[in-house]
Amino acid sequence: MAPHPRLRRVLRAALTAGLVFGAAACAKEFPNSTLVPHSEFGRDIDYLFNILFIGGTVVFVLVEAGLLYTIFRYRQREGAPEPKQVHGNTALEITWTLIPALVLAFIAVPTVRTIFRTQAKAVPNALQVEVIGHQWWWEFRYPQLGVTTANELYLPKGRTVNFALKTQDVLHSFWIPAIAGKRDLIANHTNYLWFTPDDTTGAWNGFCAEFCGASHANMRFRVFTVSPQEFDAWVAHQKTGPAFGAPAAAPAAGAAPGATPSVNQVATSTAQTTPAAGGAPPTPAGPQPQVANVSTATFTMDQLPRHVLPSTPLPKGLSLSVTSGDAARGAQLYRTSACIACHKVEGVSPGVVGPNLTHIGSRTTIAAGLYPNDFKHLTLWIKNAPAMKPGSLMPALGKSATTPGGYDDQQVADIAAYLLSLK
Amino acid sequence: MATTVAAPPYVAAHGKYERGILSWLATVDHKRIAQLYLYTSLAWFVIGGIEALIIRSQLMGPNGRVVSAETFNQLFTMHGTTMIFLVVMPLSAAFFNFLIPLQIGARDVAFPRLNAFSYWVYLLGSLFMNASWLFGAAPDGGWFGYAPLTTRAYSPGLNIDFWVLGLQILGISTLAAGFNFITTVINMRAPGMHFMRMPIFTWSAFVTQFLIILAFPIITVALVFLQFDRFFGTNFYTTAAGADPLLWQHLFWLFGHPEVYILILPAFGLVSEVVPTFSRKPLFGYPVMVYSLILIAFLGFGVWAHHMFAVGMGPIADSVFGVTTMLIAIPTGVKIFNWLGTLWGGSLRFTTPMLFAISLVALFTIGGISGVMHSSPPADLQQTDSYFIVAHFHYVLFGGSLMGLYAGTYYYYPKITGRMMSEKLGKWHFWLNLVAMNLTFFPMHIVGLNGMPRRIYTYDANQGWETENFLETVGAFLLAISVAIFLYNLIVSRKRGERAASDPWGAPTIEWSLPSPVPEYNYAQIPTVTSRYPLWDKKSPELTREVPHTKAGERRIDVAMGGKQTGATIETPSDTRLNAENAHPSAHELGIHLPTPTLWPLCAAIGLTVGFAGLIWHERISIMILGAVIMVVSLYAWFLTPLEEAH
Amino acid sequence: MATASVADLTPVEHHHTSTGLDNKKIGIWAFIGSECLFFMSLISTYLIYKGRSIKGPFPHETCGPPLCDVPRNAILNIPITSASTFVLLMSSLFMVLAHSAVVRGDRKHSKLWLAGTAIAGTIFLGFQAYEFTSFVHEGLKLSTNLFGSTFFTLTGFHGAHVTAGVIWLITLLFIDIKRGLGPRDAINVDICALYWHFVDVVWIAIFTLVYLIK
Ligand code: HEA
Ligand code: HEA
Ligand code: CUA
Ligand SMILES: [Cu+2]
Repeated sequence: MAPHPRLRRVLRAALTAGLVFGAAACAKEFPNSTLVPHSEFGRDIDYLFNILFIGGTVVFVLVEAGLLYTIFRYRQREGAPEPKQVHGNTALEITWTLIPALVLAFIAVPTVRTIFRTQAKAVPNALQVEVIGHQWWWEFRYPQLGVTTANELYLPKGRTVNFALKTQDVLHSFWIPAIAGKRDLIANHTNYLWFTPDDTTGAWNGFCAEFCGASHANMRFRVFTVSPQEFDAWVAHQKTGPAFGAPAAAPAAGAAPGATPSVNQVATSTAQTTPAAGGAPPTPAGPQPQVANVSTATFTMDQLPRHVLPSTPLPKGLSLSVTSGDAARGAQLYRTSACIACHKVEGVSPGVVGPNLTHIGSRTTIAAGLYPNDFKHLTLWIKNAPAMKPGSLMPALGKSATTPGGYDDQQVADIAAYLLSLK
Repeated sequence: MATTVAAPPYVAAHGKYERGILSWLATVDHKRIAQLYLYTSLAWFVIGGIEALIIRSQLMGPNGRVVSAETFNQLFTMHGTTMIFLVVMPLSAAFFNFLIPLQIGARDVAFPRLNAFSYWVYLLGSLFMNASWLFGAAPDGGWFGYAPLTTRAYSPGLNIDFWVLGLQILGISTLAAGFNFITTVINMRAPGMHFMRMPIFTWSAFVTQFLIILAFPIITVALVFLQFDRFFGTNFYTTAAGADPLLWQHLFWLFGHPEVYILILPAFGLVSEVVPTFSRKPLFGYPVMVYSLILIAFLGFGVWAHHMFAVGMGPIADSVFGVTTMLIAIPTGVKIFNWLGTLWGGSLRFTTPMLFAISLVALFTIGGISGVMHSSPPADLQQTDSYFIVAHFHYVLFGGSLMGLYAGTYYYYPKITGRMMSEKLGKWHFWLNLVAMNLTFFPMHIVGLNGMPRRIYTYDANQGWETENFLETVGAFLLAISVAIFLYNLIVSRKRGERAASDPWGAPTIEWSLPSPVPEYNYAQIPTVTSRYPLWDKKSPELTREVPHTKAGERRIDVAMGGKQTGATIETPSDTRLNAENAHPSAHELGIHLPTPTLWPLCAAIGLTVGFAGLIWHERISIMILGAVIMVVSLYAWFLTPLEEAH
Repeated sequence: MATASVADLTPVEHHHTSTGLDNKKIGIWAFIGSECLFFMSLISTYLIYKGRSIKGPFPHETCGPPLCDVPRNAILNIPITSASTFVLLMSSLFMVLAHSAVVRGDRKHSKLWLAGTAIAGTIFLGFQAYEFTSFVHEGLKLSTNLFGSTFFTLTGFHGAHVTAGVIWLITLLFIDIKRGLGPRDAINVDICALYWHFVDVVWIAIFTLVYLIK
């Protein structure tokens, strides 16, 4: 029925090893693999994991091989005498109490060492990032830089970053598998997690790893590791006022209508390029000079690797009767819309409940990594967020049987165009 | 009143509720109650499994559209809750009920009516919790229902109410059974049945009961807090009032980790019965097997926070809990190696029970090793709440608990029903199960390490998770087929299975001296136990003489009761009365008097459930009062009627 | 002796059990062991949340705006609770006397002391009812703060146990009056006594940890 036990043993060992290392093999195929880490913290963990894995494999092989050998060697034979009635053997039993104990000591020592190293205080000059979990999206604040953004995290390569983890509501857990281990976000506790991203430019997936309700699965985020220069450019841009709708310097209501046409084009072109390549507009010569070098810092859809491009299909029964919106009208509408109660656009709307929209146009995704940030998806989102994302706390703003007072498609499209223009 | 003792005589019981459905509703016979537990928990296994199949269908590919997010959350919550509280625990309880009295040589458990009560509370509690599906409000907070998500503020619906109250009801059932079995083992052992002669299953059951009575009060309190928060506006988990969300986690896991040993130890016990029988050798290192059980149970209370390595307890707590967790591998390892030691040098017969027992040794080891991988806190930061964990606990729960319970079912089926299960179908079940089980759960290790979080109803394409998830789904459906084969075998063998002799497997322990099926009174005369392996002594004393705690020469008279010679079942196997397979004399003819069947435990259970149901709509005080009244009346009727009818 | 146990339910039967003790005795001990963890969980929760309330009233400290809408003095009233504690302690003594009376088959005293125990228990409950109502008047409710939640839940569950005990005692008393409790019922009084003493001991713990220790 089966080959020689020794052969079996080899096969099994090879199989297990093969499977797991195979999994680790190429990060291309496994973009979130924890076995090819991209920070020193990740590597500390991986080092431990390898010890555990080797120890585990040894134990596994010994036990299973021993089991198989016994099974074949001692299966009942015809006319064999009753087996000798051994009832125990103290020496043996002590041995197989001690051997595991040794294996475990061999695991415990590096474990404890790693615990204390990785949970030490972060270096003082670390980049501080406040992570605030919300049902179901992520707020990121850079207190040292006065930047607040959502669902997309920019990190300078090779600089230690220290996360302060907090939550607005229930428990969440902050996890970027390909870079480092996770930590929970717990009300009335601030947790800390620090690591130094490797010197590789990249886009990574982050997940919420603690069940937090209906859209736990949709509480994703993106991490971009960029060069210090690109990071500074990005910061500089994020600090500017909204690219459109309010002057950067003195944040105040009242957009300069003069600026609108160009932006109009943006919105429209966005609309046309949707949804195929995602709304990747040619970088506009917007009002602010910074916008020019934004392109070097912000990732646009076409620059992104597959694994960070959302593939979520549109829910059934969502339709849109328009293909483009007017950002100028949108800007006006926005000021009086329900949006302002929850969302912040620097100098335009004060809201703090939802994600900060000052530079939403520069993000690659909406709804916490669920959909590409393009005209079509954004419009549908504003029209009927709950239908786009289970349990979404953002109400449907479009006109419908249940919300007769809502905006018609054109108005929604205008607002979307306006938001997209906020590069 | 104190008549539930290990020996006759009893006061006459007359034919009340003798046959028909009533005989089941009113039964206080531990063997019938065991069967009720068995069939009920298998029914829930199908339900929990179907829930799993829907989960797997949803996750077969990226962006699955089979069920909505809300439904999915209800599915995995109920799948976990069902499998743990409505399948594995009651399935173990079926064996506690059936085996403990038989293995210690007693007529019944210490409190037969309390035993019936436990079952009815379990049945009604499980129905109560699943009734939530009818309201479209099945629990959706995960099987460990972390606060504050489960508080009113974030879960306004009835879902969590059903979960909290359902678990409270089930807890009462489990605790009542716990007190009952502890008393039974301590107090109702037949003469000569010293602790170190007790069959190892009874030992594991005994230890499990202590885990139960010490762990369940803790979750009861945790649930009371949640219940009060939800119903009476207390602040135990209200973060706005300064509450600490970790309170729930500590209380829950302080229960939750002992709970996982509550789930595995009975399976270990069954395997420890099966392996010696089919190796024709005594259990290797019986005393060490007993001590390791106790040690596992003891350590089990000191490791709970290994479920909380990501919450930021600080380096010291992490180190302590990491190390204590690793320690548990040692006594567990001793069990694994002692099983190997039992097999070694034996004459192995690969019957279906033996195959499942061996597969527990093989598969549980895998789950145990992944467990040890979690026990290193930094490593666990990459594993926790990922599919790597899901892989771990399915290997220990499915590959451990369930394999053991399968083995026990095939092994004891003849004793329960008087017929054998089909070996042919059994082998089919085994091999299909073995392949499908690994196909379903092994890839979970890999997706887990590749960053797939658990409890997600959907995932994006291009994450490197597709292949594994597809295989897992295929495996799950193959598992369904294997389960179907098992259930078919179980059902048809009842009628068509070949008749079983009193000792079809050549087993060593005293329950096999009884006819199959066991007569209602178990032992015509309470046996006197003189050894750890009485039946083997009888057949071949020369073989077992070496085994400690075997004193074949022990004089029966020393331990005879009331001057009456006992131990007949072992002394005189030729006694036709006891070996007649089909026709054995009734309790009446033997002048044995058994507890009177009664409906009061059922009524009390109904009252209890109605009361809790009233809480669901907590303004409906009337319902709660009604339930309370039914309960109190039944309890008085129960306690004031003697165990047997007066003469 | 085999026939002896058929005839009537004498304690002789206990010889049938492995330990010689009655099953009920073992059962109640198992139950009490379980109850210990129940109350340990409640008490440790109280202690963990002690001093964590973000608004008053507080157990041992006075409080005023902003922590309390109006000035409040410390809630706990030690003298009164000491009195109720004393009553409960006495009830344990009565319970002992009741049990020994039952063992002696002395029905006059068994009735007396059973009644005495039940009454003492009821008085304790009266004290608790008074305490709770006065706390509510002083602005402490279940939902007020962490202290309110933990305090009422802990002492409330203890009160519920006392209530159950009183009902149990009254039932025994009732049987005693109807058909008399003799030595053969000793076990039933015995387990009730064990339960009662346990509930009493739990109160000592609560009184010390909640009331006395600041
Ligand atoms: C039957 C139930 C069962 C059993 C027996 C176990 C056994 C063990 N479990 Fe498991 N566990 C669960 C059920 C179980 N577990 C469940 C349900 C969860 C998830 C809960 C949830 O989040 O939903 C969980 C989660 C869980 C975690 C938390 C993971 C996380 O969420 O981050 C951890 C962490 O340490 C852990 C560890 C262990 C260990 C060390 C053992 C040990 O007892 C294993 C010991 C056995 C062996 C090691 C194999 C045999 C030994 C040898 C052959 C000797 C030589 C071996 C070595 C030296 C390594 N388990
Ligand atoms: C003993 C416990 C146990 C058992 C046996 C199982 C069995 C299975 N589990 Fe379970 N599982 C848990 C305990 C268990 N699980 C727990 C505790 C969780 C955590 C929940 C949480 O996170 O809160 C979990 C979570 C869990 C998940 C993760 C969900 C998530 O995180 O999103 C998955 C996913 O694949 C899964 C799959 C399965 C599968 C495929 C089986 C299969 O083995 C099932 C096989 C059985 C059947 C298929 C029976 C059906 C039979 C038929 C249909 C035959 C037809 C016959 C008739 C109709 C008469 N389980
Ligand atoms: Cu946030 Cu899961
Ligand atoms: Cu655990």
